[in-house]
Amino acid sequence: MPDLILALPSKGRLEEQARSTFEKAGLKITRPGGARAYQGELGGLDGVTVRFLSAGEIARELTRGNIHVGVTGADLIHEVSEAAPHQVIFAKPLEFGEADVVIAVPDAWRDVTHVDDLSDVGADFAAHKTRWLRIATKYVNLTRAFFARHGIAEYRIVESLGATEAAPANGSADLIVDITTTGSTLRANGLRVLEDGVILKSQANLVVSKTATWDAASRQVLDEMLRAFGVATLDLKA
Amino acid sequence: MMPAATEIIRKLGAVLDTYVPERTEPDLLVPANDYFELAGEEFGRRLMLTTGVDGHDYCLRPDFTLPVAQNFLRSGAPGAASFGYWGKVFRQRSDGPAEFTQMGLELLGHDDADAALDKVLRFVVDGLEAADLRNLTLTFGSVALFEALLGGADIPAVWLPRLRHRFGNPEALDALLNRLGSAPVAAEVAIPNRQSLIAEITEQMVADGLSLTEGRTPAEIANRYIEQRELDAARVPSETLALLRDFLQVSGTVESAVARVTDLAAASGTDLSAPVETLMRHAENLATFAPGMILNFAAGFAPRLHYYTGLVFEVRGRGTDVLASGGQYDRLLSALGAPGEIAASGAAMWIERIVEAANA
Repeated sequence: MPDLILALPSKGRLEEQARSTFEKAGLKITRPGGARAYQGELGGLDGVTVRFLSAGEIARELTRGNIHVGVTGADLIHEVSEAAPHQVIFAKPLEFGEADVVIAVPDAWRDVTHVDDLSDVGADFAAHKTRWLRIATKYVNLTRAFFARHGIAEYRIVESLGATEAAPANGSADLIVDITTTGSTLRANGLRVLEDGVILKSQANLVVSKTATWDAASRQVLDEMLRAFGVATLDLKA
Repeated sequence: MMPAATEIIRKLGAVLDTYVPERTEPDLLVPANDYFELAGEEFGRRLMLTTGVDGHDYCLRPDFTLPVAQNFLRSGAPGAASFGYWGKVFRQRSDGPAEFTQMGLELLGHDDADAALDKVLRFVVDGLEAADLRNLTLTFGSVALFEALLGGADIPAVWLPRLRHRFGNPEALDALLNRLGSAPVAAEVAIPNRQSLIAEITEQMVADGLSLTEGRTPAEIANRYIEQRELDAARVPSETLALLRDFLQVSGTVESAVARVTDLAAASGTDLSAPVETLMRHAENLATFAPGMILNFAAGFAPRLHYYTGLVFEVRGRGTDVLASGGQYDRLLSALGAPGEIAASGAAMWIERIVEAANA
């Protein structure tokens, strides 16, 4: 039985950057079975099992307490559930995987530059049209929380499973909430980010689960791992 | 000795029986889309959702009002009908999913809307009395009064639905009033010609592959763009903003609040007499059968659901929990497909909270 389960993204740039971040912290992670093996080994610290999972699964398993520590995007934690950000601790931003979750409207909506404008447009839809203002997104929780904070109730979310940026043109929604790094995909689709439309500035984080089982041994391994990243001891009470 | 929960529950049930002999029992599992379509995403996030193998979303019922109204319409809306219910409702809360027991009364299609509302109020009073609760405060809100104020005040028509839709959300309404009080954006920019602006927007929408009719039309976008830049046409006078703010702050006993609203109406030359008289009539009537209850009016209080009309109310005890709430919702049945507005009044009582308050 390992003391602590650490999960890293299983492929692509995220995997490389996560492993190199750990290596820089003096904790070299190897993947003896190659890219098709989903267990790794951590050098420099005993009692750690390394698993390779998709970034979305890491977020979910952290909130469920099935893994102790993971590297995943802040946006993915928020999308697990409304309560998920309170079930984990963002121990350290790792300065890669940067992307913003933003509100983007058709560029032709030249009267809509700020979130306030959307509340007018939402009310106008409710008053004059037979349907709600529709927002396509896969970031349902972040969108709902953001709109609630801005007092906007007159809208509906259309859950998007991919190519969200096409929703206004294909008629499935009026505007979108999506993730962007440079904004070029949005621009190519005739969309424009609202001036105050950044919902979350996301990046990969070292995330610690508050719901996992923490005993003296796993706490000690955690503290050593955190020390390697220059992070002080955390209060893990849920 | 403290009254046992079962005894309070028996007494509450007996009150319900005196109003409606047979209880209606809508399905526990209902199509979620109906709630989303009626109330939007903000209400929808409170639903306990599940997905069927057919791909449709269902939810555990979050209230009785919608299923009761739907069943009434399905049965052909046969004139006046009274529905009593008792059962579980389910909602997401910040600390997780929760189930509650509600008892309630819905009066649909009754011609005498005033009498129907009085009956609903009396039902609530009888229930709380059966639970032997004291120190109760009933707070009225009036959608009709706010709508009359908007209708009579000097406000460009374009702002009316936007103000109306924020009623019931003090922060959102306050933010909008602040925005209306500040200078319009880019006021110094010359106002573009409407026709050429529409042509430009049309061209851009076509180039970006957007439908010109499905969502916002080029004319709607152009109109709002111009409206943001016009100093006069869509400007809300500062006197009107001050009136709205003063009005929304009115809160206190019905008597003192009505006096304040009447003063505001007189000073601004707005006729609010009809909704004020309606409020007074119901408050006076209520005082005769609930002499111990404190009767308040809060001008800014309303459920943020567009189908509420007329008067709304909620009752609290010593604690902060709402023990009962209800009101008039004449726009619900038309929103569900009835050919016109059908008078509707109702109230729901929160059984667990009432039992807890009775034992406090």
